[in-house]
Amino acid sequence: MPLAMADLDTLVAPASAAGVSALALIRIDGPGSHGMVAAALRRAAPPAMRHASVGIWHGADGAVIDQVVVTCHAAGASHTGNAAAEVTCHGNPLIVRRLVEDCLARGARMAEPGEFTRRAFVNGRMDLSQAEAVADLIHANSERALEAARRQLAGELGRAIAGWTDGALAVLATLEAHIDFPEEDLPPEDPAGPRQQLIALARALQAAAATERHDAALRSGIRLAVVGAPNAGKSSLLNALAGEARALVSAEPGTTRDYLEARVTGLPLAVTAVDTAGLREGGGELERAGMERSLAQAETADFLLAVVDRSQPPPELPARLLARLKPGQAAVVENKSDLPPHPALAGWLSELPHLVTCLNSAEGAAAARQVITRALEQADLAPTGEALIVSSRHADALRRAADALLRAADHLKHGSRETELASAEVRGAIDALGEVVGRVDNERMLDKLFASFCIGK
Amino acid sequence: MSLPRKELRLGSDRPYDVLVCGAGHAGVEAALAAARMGADVLLLTGNIDTVAQMSCNPAIGGQAKGQIVREIDALGGAMGITADVTGIQFRLLNASKGPAVQAPRVQCDKKAYQFRLKHVCELQPNLTLFQAQVTGLIIKNDKVVGVQTNLDLDFHAQTVVVTTGTFLRGLMHIGANKNEGGRLGDFSAKSLSSSFLSAGIELERLKTGTPPRILGSTIDFSKCTEQPGDPTPTLFAFHDTRQDGDLFHVEQTGERLPGWEPGTDQVSCWMTEATGETGRIVAENLHRSPLYAGEIKSVGPRYCPSIEDKFVKFSDKESHKLFLEPEGRNTNEWYINGLSTSLPFEIQLQMLHSIPGLQHAVMLRPAYAVEYDFAPPTQLWPTLESKKVEGLFFAGQINGTSGYEEAGGQGLVAGVNAAAKAQGRPALVLGRDEAYIGVLIDDLVTKGTQEPYRMFTSRAEHRLLLNHGSAELRLVDHAGALGLVPTARLERMQAKRTAVEHWVEMFEKLTITGGIIGEVLRRSVEALPDGLPPGFVQLSRDVREEILYRVRYKGYLERERRQVAKQSDLEDWPIPADFDYTKVSGLRKEAQMKLASVRPKNLGQATRISGVNPADISLLMVLLRARR
Repeated sequence: MPLAMADLDTLVAPASAAGVSALALIRIDGPGSHGMVAAALRRAAPPAMRHASVGIWHGADGAVIDQVVVTCHAAGASHTGNAAAEVTCHGNPLIVRRLVEDCLARGARMAEPGEFTRRAFVNGRMDLSQAEAVADLIHANSERALEAARRQLAGELGRAIAGWTDGALAVLATLEAHIDFPEEDLPPEDPAGPRQQLIALARALQAAAATERHDAALRSGIRLAVVGAPNAGKSSLLNALAGEARALVSAEPGTTRDYLEARVTGLPLAVTAVDTAGLREGGGELERAGMERSLAQAETADFLLAVVDRSQPPPELPARLLARLKPGQAAVVENKSDLPPHPALAGWLSELPHLVTCLNSAEGAAAARQVITRALEQADLAPTGEALIVSSRHADALRRAADALLRAADHLKHGSRETELASAEVRGAIDALGEVVGRVDNERMLDKLFASFCIGK
Repeated sequence: MSLPRKELRLGSDRPYDVLVCGAGHAGVEAALAAARMGADVLLLTGNIDTVAQMSCNPAIGGQAKGQIVREIDALGGAMGITADVTGIQFRLLNASKGPAVQAPRVQCDKKAYQFRLKHVCELQPNLTLFQAQVTGLIIKNDKVVGVQTNLDLDFHAQTVVVTTGTFLRGLMHIGANKNEGGRLGDFSAKSLSSSFLSAGIELERLKTGTPPRILGSTIDFSKCTEQPGDPTPTLFAFHDTRQDGDLFHVEQTGERLPGWEPGTDQVSCWMTEATGETGRIVAENLHRSPLYAGEIKSVGPRYCPSIEDKFVKFSDKESHKLFLEPEGRNTNEWYINGLSTSLPFEIQLQMLHSIPGLQHAVMLRPAYAVEYDFAPPTQLWPTLESKKVEGLFFAGQINGTSGYEEAGGQGLVAGVNAAAKAQGRPALVLGRDEAYIGVLIDDLVTKGTQEPYRMFTSRAEHRLLLNHGSAELRLVDHAGALGLVPTARLERMQAKRTAVEHWVEMFEKLTITGGIIGEVLRRSVEALPDGLPPGFVQLSRDVREEILYRVRYKGYLERERRQVAKQSDLEDWPIPADFDYTKVSGLRKEAQMKLASVRPKNLGQATRISGVNPADISLLMVLLRARR
């Protein structure tokens, strides 16, 4: 089947499973893939075909994203039959996301589920038996996708998109009424109104697309590092959050030598707490090594909980750690509320939220969960309960829709002279929204048009 | 002297190539196109005095319709040139908007229009015109072989094009008064419906309506607003194809020499409005409207509502605009555009006299609603051939459409395909990115229609590519391949395309003050810069305008073409006509039924069927691949 190669979109999608792993694979497919790789690696030409090539992936904004291994495949010699590239990066979901987003910024489009297979199939890269096997696969996939779509349609995203689509259709109907029925008895054409509506719609879409940042939190979870001086009660906090005696607790300082992870129970999203070795001057070689590893954990965590013994003076923490104890990134847990507070503690890290608790009591554990949830929400690390969260595929569609609506609004700056161009953009936006919830038939626009205007001589 | 190639004959030993039933706007274009392709054509009409009669308003073109007329013209059809030379008022709609949504419209001299088209049919070689009402089809082994007529004469043909308009079991309503017929004063084709039904073709009912006609000398124009024509007319025909000897215009009685300049001596239309008083009369008598009393159950068009509908559905509107349109130079009959109704005659009179300027108007013909049979067009292939009966083609209102232009476009395609089938040549299916006619037919055969279907530019997803000025360039290859235009004209069309492509390319290379010409043009949309190459300046206006459009809208047109290319891999993926959807396990029941009923020609068409989703398409794709 001949494909208009030059007109094909370039697709991007992670090919390995979500979550933390040693390495992750990102697949780029389409005529723009080689150029994209060359630009990101800052090379004049793409790497030789079918050779693993090491390089630094620079974002379109110039920032270094990761050291990667890239393999390019020539058109006709790839899995799909199109020019393609495979990028192996480190298996941190954050890196994968930034790399994929960078490809989008460079003009790629997020692949639909099954789209690579479809391309392979369209290009005749599969023989009969493979095709038959894929038939079952595609079918199974789509049924699941349909099921997911149906669920989404019934849910918040579906309703929100239906609302935005309706808004865009209403503007489109107004524009089209003045294009298709210039002789009719319509209210005077005033593009300023539709223009404002389009801009408002675009803003709403952008805001919804921005919730994508929570998608990763929802799927990959949030890492929470518990830090503090020895014997402040870090392990008690971990045990309280995990709901089990995960960490060994003793009165002897320095019991925890290495870091220890536990899944926090009773929170609406996946949070992993990391207990770290207590930080203090001195200690043996082994303990110092443990402290070093703890600091590294603290630096890569999404959120820090600094645990202090409130009966003691504020701990002396390394400058590296203090730099990360900033509002939005950290909270203080004042343990041992049964003891009198040390006067010097008042005013210590006062810009951070403080939780006073006794971690040895059942109430203390419940309160800790509550405070953490609130702190994560305030830090915008976790969505509030009722918020709409979109995946990166949806966010891509929403952003394209928003961009199209803004271009449409731009055309309407010139009065009614470019309404047909504005209308083309609004249609593009509706199509992009349709990728999420299903195609919108033109009849719906006409229904709206005839319901809103008295047309007919 | 050489006699024209025409022959009226009976009997099955020498069948016609193409037989066309009905000589309205669809039938005439069908017969002319088939004859131009060299087919031996018989055109039958129930009344030879009403060839190409404008049953409703005396105008051709308008939004989307004007573009269709230019496409008909580019394919050698007769509607455009006939509208031009019988036009009495010319206007370019949406002149203040972009070229893609501008459309020519012309008020025609109604009688002159139909007389000229009858004359064109009389002159056309290979085309024989005859008056007889078709009463039934002759079908053998699921293939049509001829028709029966009310004169008990049977005519035979390899293919038959049916264009029944509103005549198929036509029933007219004026209040409680009912008359059988497709148009006031004309007959109703009754037995033909049973012929279709017994051939397994399904029929449904639609409704349309027409306003009253009044005597112009009784209109008080001082109470109306004048709407003059454009000083520079925009014509439909790309070339004046009239030749000495076959000229025709009512202005030139007895004369057979060129001389009439289309667009000169224009007359005006006038505007008035139906006011609250008219609304009160409508409201008080609503129960007497067959539409509201439930007498008429069939669906009418939303875009052409009766005055009852307007006052009821948009009750917040104080008044509704009405247009007074003259029906010709040699008549004082006027058409009231916007006052379509099926209320009883005396109510019509009351309404008329409540309208400013029409207080003393004398009615010549009442308004009426008409119900008629149509054959849901999903029963057709994209060639407009019936899926049930081989060799049988449908065009015009029988396919559920409305409008002379929509009928003409379908007629032309049906005529071409009927001739092509008889001659064993490939069929013509226009793409949605090629022509409004392509959008029209694809919509009809893929989605069907719930109301009389009218073309809107908003139905065309590639509207920017379908500007009226580019019709010839879009269709020149089809016109050439099918032999629809004479060689001399084809050469002019090709030369025009070469010139347009040349200058579009050169404008991205040549510079004037301010930079590369293309960039200068895109910066200043309004005025033309100085210093453009003389070779360009000397081109004709329509060629220059097309070049400017392509240069100024370059980015948008390129994006449209990319979108077309994206869809085209699916359009190029044929589905065999005998593909058995019931055997596809995993296809949802709804998709299975829809696909089996529409039987799309390719995957692209399948994607446009409502109720077929992307998962179904993926599955079909896999299975089709496996079949190869």
